[in-house]
Amino acid sequence: MSQGSNSDKQDDHRPRINPVLAHLEAIATGIKWLTRKPMTLMYPDMEEKKPEYFRGFIIFNYDKCIGCSLCAQVCPPRAIHMYRVPGDKRIRPGYDAGRCIHCGLCTDICPTDALDVSPVHDEVFEQIESMDFDPVEWHIISKKLVEEHAKRKRKLVITRVDEEVGLRYEPVE
Amino acid sequence: MVLVELAKALHVPVWALRGFLAPLVYPGLVALLGTVLFLIWAERKMAARVQQRVGPYYVSPKLHGALQLIADGARFALQEVIVHVETDRLMFVLGPILTFTFLSLPFTVLPGGPGIYGFRSDFSMVIVYALLTLSPITVILMGWASSNKFAMIGGGREALLTVSGEITLALAILSVAAMYGTLDFVTAVEKQVHTGIIGLVSNPIAALLFFLAMLLLTDRVPFDIVLGEQEIVQGPYTEYSGVLYALTMAIDYAKLYALSIAFTLLFLGGWAPFTTPLLGAISVYIKSLIVLLFSVFLRSVYGRMRLDHAMNFFWARLFPLGFIALALGVFVHVIYA
Repeated sequence: MSQGSNSDKQDDHRPRINPVLAHLEAIATGIKWLTRKPMTLMYPDMEEKKPEYFRGFIIFNYDKCIGCSLCAQVCPPRAIHMYRVPGDKRIRPGYDAGRCIHCGLCTDICPTDALDVSPVHDEVFEQIESMDFDPVEWHIISKKLVEEHAKRKRKLVITRVDEEVGLRYEPVE
Repeated sequence: MVLVELAKALHVPVWALRGFLAPLVYPGLVALLGTVLFLIWAERKMAARVQQRVGPYYVSPKLHGALQLIADGARFALQEVIVHVETDRLMFVLGPILTFTFLSLPFTVLPGGPGIYGFRSDFSMVIVYALLTLSPITVILMGWASSNKFAMIGGGREALLTVSGEITLALAILSVAAMYGTLDFVTAVEKQVHTGIIGLVSNPIAALLFFLAMLLLTDRVPFDIVLGEQEIVQGPYTEYSGVLYALTMAIDYAKLYALSIAFTLLFLGGWAPFTTPLLGAISVYIKSLIVLLFSVFLRSVYGRMRLDHAMNFFWARLFPLGFIALALGVFVHVIYA
């Protein structure tokens, strides 16, 4: 009413709200939501169970590699480059984890299964340079990541959509 | 009484011990510090719960993140206090300190329970009101001294809103004073205890006005126009860092704490069910804590009001309502006479 006569005419079609009741209703709604449980997935303590062929960090087995360089040819973002390793006749793949899009084409094309996908997706690197591995480093970090992942004791859960809560997390074995 | 015996044991007069304990321990600075630490944690936790988040957690998982504020405080204490070149140095550094000093003075007259006060005056409501209204002046000066456009705008908003909020607060206090026939907090509470009718029942309009003015003066949502994080970073406190920033954060919470104790004393019966010092003090503290929790809970319910809407709301709706509250207070005076 105090906004002037112009806006009154335009606002006539809007539903009238009781100012006191509307505030009480808003506060009551807030208190109702206060009692609800949070939907957060407590991530480092709890983790979603990954599907069987989840494509995470690409792991590399130096001993199986025959140096055919098919992986480097097929890699869409050119995350894999071939390196010459001292004391080795063949060229071997190196890996830039910062460029990798985890498409898994290299693991499909590898004739000896030297490359494989892993469920590791949350390895942290402090510098962008330390994400670029030459063949030997790649072999070492692959071994390390696989071993660490086997030791991990996080609760694994499956996410379910629930009409009451929103998201629900069911523990799995 | 405990206080008298303690004064005898320490060989100091009772009034000196009162004047020392009330502003420094309870209801003063120590209680204020503990309350603010708990309150900010509770505010973040409640806002998180309403949005179905968890809130602060990983600082101390067993206590649900209750130590988060201590970690934050340690970070502020170790952080460098940056005073940039264009500031008015003296006012910039003195601003938060002066404001906090003004805001810690009302605890000398605010009683925290039966017999727990710094000194008793016949005009304690007026003293508290006067001391609380000193702080906006230094906040405006802080905004000016920062030499920053956000701080300038924040200071201007503080000036505008203070004028509209404090007149409402004054009317609420006046109507309560007319209702109880006194300007003294202790007498007001004693009248509520004797008659058994609390101020919230006998004059609900004045209680509503007091509460809304309290929200406006302490920048709580929906009236957090001075701080306005999405618009003007942190209002008058934009340029502050380190210990001074922690002080500027404490300013609003100190004001809120003082005002909610006043609200408890005037409208919720103070130490109403009890008359002994210890139980009375606990009663006052718990009541004011509930008021505090409710006023920070509103953060998760409301959005921010626009500046002109808030001014319009206070001058056009609440100011006339204040006169109705005053008339009601004069009328209701019969109960307490």
